Amino acid sequence: MQELLQHLINALILGSTYALLGIGLTLIFGIMRVVNFTHGELYAFGAYAIFFLESSLGVNFFAAIVIAVVAGCALGALIEYVLLRPLQTADIDTTMLVMIGAWIVMQNTELLYWGGVSKAVPTPFPEEPLQLGPVFVSWLRIFVLIVGTALIIGTYLLIDHTKLGKAMRATFQDPATAALMGVNIKGIYTATFALGSGLAAAAGALLGPVFLVTPTMGDLASLKAFAIVILGGLGNITGATLGGFILAFVEELGAGYISSGYRDAMGFLIIIVVMLFRPTGLFRQAERIG
Amino acid sequence: MKQIATLALAGLLAGGAFSAATAQETIKIGVLEPLTGPFAASGTYVMNGAKIAADQINAKGGVLGKKLELIIEDNKSNPTEAASVAEKLMVRDKVPVLMGAWGSSLTLAVMPKLMEYKVPMLVETSSSGKITTSGNPYIFRISPPSAIEAVAFAKIVDKLHIKKADFLVINNDWGLGTAQDFGKMFQEHGIKVGMVERMDQAAQDMSAQLSKFKSSDADTLIITSAVEQLTLVFKQAAALGLKKQFITTGGSQNPDQLIDQAGTAVNGTMHLTTFAPWVPEVTPDPEATKWFIGEWKKRGFHFAGVTESFRGYDGIRTIAAAIEKAGKAEPEAIRAAMWQLDITGLNGKIKFTKQGPAGKESGQSIPTVYLIKIEDGKVVVPKL
Amino acid sequence: MTTRIAPLAWLVLLFTVPLWLRDPYYLHVAITTAIFIIAAMSLNLLLGYTGQLSLGHVAFFGIGAYASALTTLGFEITLPGGWQLTHEPWPPIVGFPISVIVAGLCGYVIGKLSFKVRGAYFVIVTISFAEVTRLVALNWVELTQGPLALNNIPPYGIWLPGLGVYDFWDKTAYFYLVAVVAAVSYLIIRRLVNSRVGRAMVALKDNESLAVSVGIDVTHYLVLAAVVSAAMAGAAGSLYAHYVKIIDPDIFLFIYTVTMVIMVITGGKGTLAGPIVGGIIFGFLPVILRSFASPAVQWIIYGALMIIIVFVLPQGIVPAVERFFERRRARAAAAAPNPDAVER
Repeated sequence: MQELLQHLINALILGSTYALLGIGLTLIFGIMRVVNFTHGELYAFGAYAIFFLESSLGVNFFAAIVIAVVAGCALGALIEYVLLRPLQTADIDTTMLVMIGAWIVMQNTELLYWGGVSKAVPTPFPEEPLQLGPVFVSWLRIFVLIVGTALIIGTYLLIDHTKLGKAMRATFQDPATAALMGVNIKGIYTATFALGSGLAAAAGALLGPVFLVTPTMGDLASLKAFAIVILGGLGNITGATLGGFILAFVEELGAGYISSGYRDAMGFLIIIVVMLFRPTGLFRQAERIG
Repeated sequence: MKQIATLALAGLLAGGAFSAATAQETIKIGVLEPLTGPFAASGTYVMNGAKIAADQINAKGGVLGKKLELIIEDNKSNPTEAASVAEKLMVRDKVPVLMGAWGSSLTLAVMPKLMEYKVPMLVETSSSGKITTSGNPYIFRISPPSAIEAVAFAKIVDKLHIKKADFLVINNDWGLGTAQDFGKMFQEHGIKVGMVERMDQAAQDMSAQLSKFKSSDADTLIITSAVEQLTLVFKQAAALGLKKQFITTGGSQNPDQLIDQAGTAVNGTMHLTTFAPWVPEVTPDPEATKWFIGEWKKRGFHFAGVTESFRGYDGIRTIAAAIEKAGKAEPEAIRAAMWQLDITGLNGKIKFTKQGPAGKESGQSIPTVYLIKIEDGKVVVPKL
Repeated sequence: MTTRIAPLAWLVLLFTVPLWLRDPYYLHVAITTAIFIIAAMSLNLLLGYTGQLSLGHVAFFGIGAYASALTTLGFEITLPGGWQLTHEPWPPIVGFPISVIVAGLCGYVIGKLSFKVRGAYFVIVTISFAEVTRLVALNWVELTQGPLALNNIPPYGIWLPGLGVYDFWDKTAYFYLVAVVAAVSYLIIRRLVNSRVGRAMVALKDNESLAVSVGIDVTHYLVLAAVVSAAMAGAAGSLYAHYVKIIDPDIFLFIYTVTMVIMVITGGKGTLAGPIVGGIIFGFLPVILRSFASPAVQWIIYGALMIIIVFVLPQGIVPAVERFFERRRARAAAAAPNPDAVER
């Protein structure tokens, strides 16, 4: 019983960061219909950013997280502006290929600059875990859960209660009509990509200190993000949030009770199964945002 | 226009001839290590240790009057890549001898190529028993296989009061071989063997396995992996409040890096290493040890790497000695000369004994194994 | 006229390669490049001609490699229920048709299942398939040896009259073997593409709903393309396994699919020569770059190259070259006097 509770707590914490990854991608994928292979790289970027800020520049941990997320947004905006905007009219394979190219360039730049050896991110939290009854949680992981949840709620508020959010929802439903209504579609695309990338960077900045920072950490993150998006339905933020938690639970319980080796396979099996039986995702209101 | 072209051509040819001439002045040694991937930290340490040895030898005039040239390739912690770069080193760069490939699976992947091209390789780190017992006469190993590690550990195991031990090992020849050899040794000493859990070399989240160990009744957990993964294991074990007697094996723990990156999570943990740079007096050649540590620090490397880089250092020095003895930089001569070596490395005596099927024996040297403990962020030799 | 001679000329050139490429290292690169070109051509069938973005192609390649290796090395597994299944080693040459069949079957299954979804979703399903295959290869240690890799795979042995069994250890011999398979693959694809089947595939790429309305059985043709494509990739995998003689789960890594995709796209998807051109460029580029760029820098160059080509030559190199020649021909025709024009 104690083991089960421990697995559940682990899953809950991991789920919050997965949700961030998923929300970020579902926005990009949903609104812009771009197969964004750089999503995982923004995740890695967030982790490397926080490492760099703390280790090389001596920035405080909490400030570093904020800077990493903002930098992620900026990088996302840059990618969109330079690579995607000129390809507005191109078909989906073209944008996908450009994203693959960008992914290769980003990952190897990180490899070139920081080398292949994994990095540990120093945190200001005590090593001794907190004991809540029969389960143990480290302070760092509690922090991750809190910040992750805060960002999820923040994204909700942005989408549902701000003008920008409204514009994004409109663009998602029907870009042509939205444009006629005066929405700056190009600007929305940039903002969407920036927001999605910022969330990915946040996930990386939060999980980087929990594990280690390696140049290839983004690859698995990218694929898991796609799994979450499929699970939750394209463009469906609630779906992505729930999808993130579901994936984390399936992974954690599967690894604990079935086989730890197949842990990362869970995400992909989910994709395949969902695609076969409910291609629009588990949740009814698939094709809507929010 | 024509004259300029002719001059340029002449210059190129001269330059080419010159570089070819200078190229002939060096003796090449192929070095293949994981410089990227899960074992990047360890591979990089070994590579840098090798460079120190080469520089030291070259400063004293080289070998047979020529300078040593290390041709270093990255095997990316992947067996197929290891085989591929080994082939490249032997076919393209025509190295007469190799050192590598760090991991057991990587070395095993290279071995058929050694047979094909008849080039000897000095194995500096790998610990799978299979390497020296497969009938490959081109293999010479200075690191201990897990069987020898187990034998060395057997001498002190009774003092550790282990009743039952679980294993958490990396999912390859190295980890699985360790579980097998140590398991056998434990049973001979009346120690019960519990669970054997595995972790993929690239895995970062071991909380599932660690949660299982929490509910196990074993008092000791034997862990085998490289420093990056060990860091994660200890951090996650601490986060789960998992309290057992932790002992790591394999010699790639880099205890100082563990202290650096895992902090208080590694206090109280014990490690079987093949070098003890914290107490040079205990090593076979304290002067050489102190010099090596000094040189390592001078180059700005992290002290943690010394526990692995010494293998690169010893490996190159062994190869150089063999070349010297052989009198020429040719694969067959070097191979024959290896059997005649009797020198002292930083870890112990290097003298190859025959292992494996008759007529195709590999060389295995018997190094020393040390048990150290981390207490209050420092490495100590525990009093048992 | 040129379209007839060109492939023949290329074929002749291909077969003379070992005569002027003496360095065994370059020959090694030529062999692995040729193998990847076969895989790229098979991907082109799916990517270029049917327009389906299959990004899990390396799965078929790897499955072919493992099938061939396991057939040759033999294996012993315990099935659920406690039964032992033992396979004795078979002659390596048998591995080739087996890998073609096994990979083709997988192509059939994947084709049938995946073509329910299209576009971006299809992309993700195919990627997932490759990842699951990798994780199975990694974890089903009893069968695949997991990360320890299947080592010591023997090369093919062909019975030649008068010589007995000839084992393909020699690089030159292996190159010819691969060249023959590559040429045959090329011919198969060309035949397929120029036939009714091929035209149906292109029809559904250009406008699926229209094709359906005309009565073309879309799923049938897609599945056919998937089977041929997968079988060919499986063949390439078998060639690879018996050449490098070691196979580990990393063969399923996404990066290899990316390499194949780069070859097809930069060469020119939907053209016969595209994957070949792309394959040659990206097969030999690493060798050229190796001397002065670290692997990380090399990959940055590929990534940048990919982006540039997508922007500048979105159709790829081969179509751009073809267009160039066409424009020259058009200009020449315009400059030449028209014999039918009435002289005034």
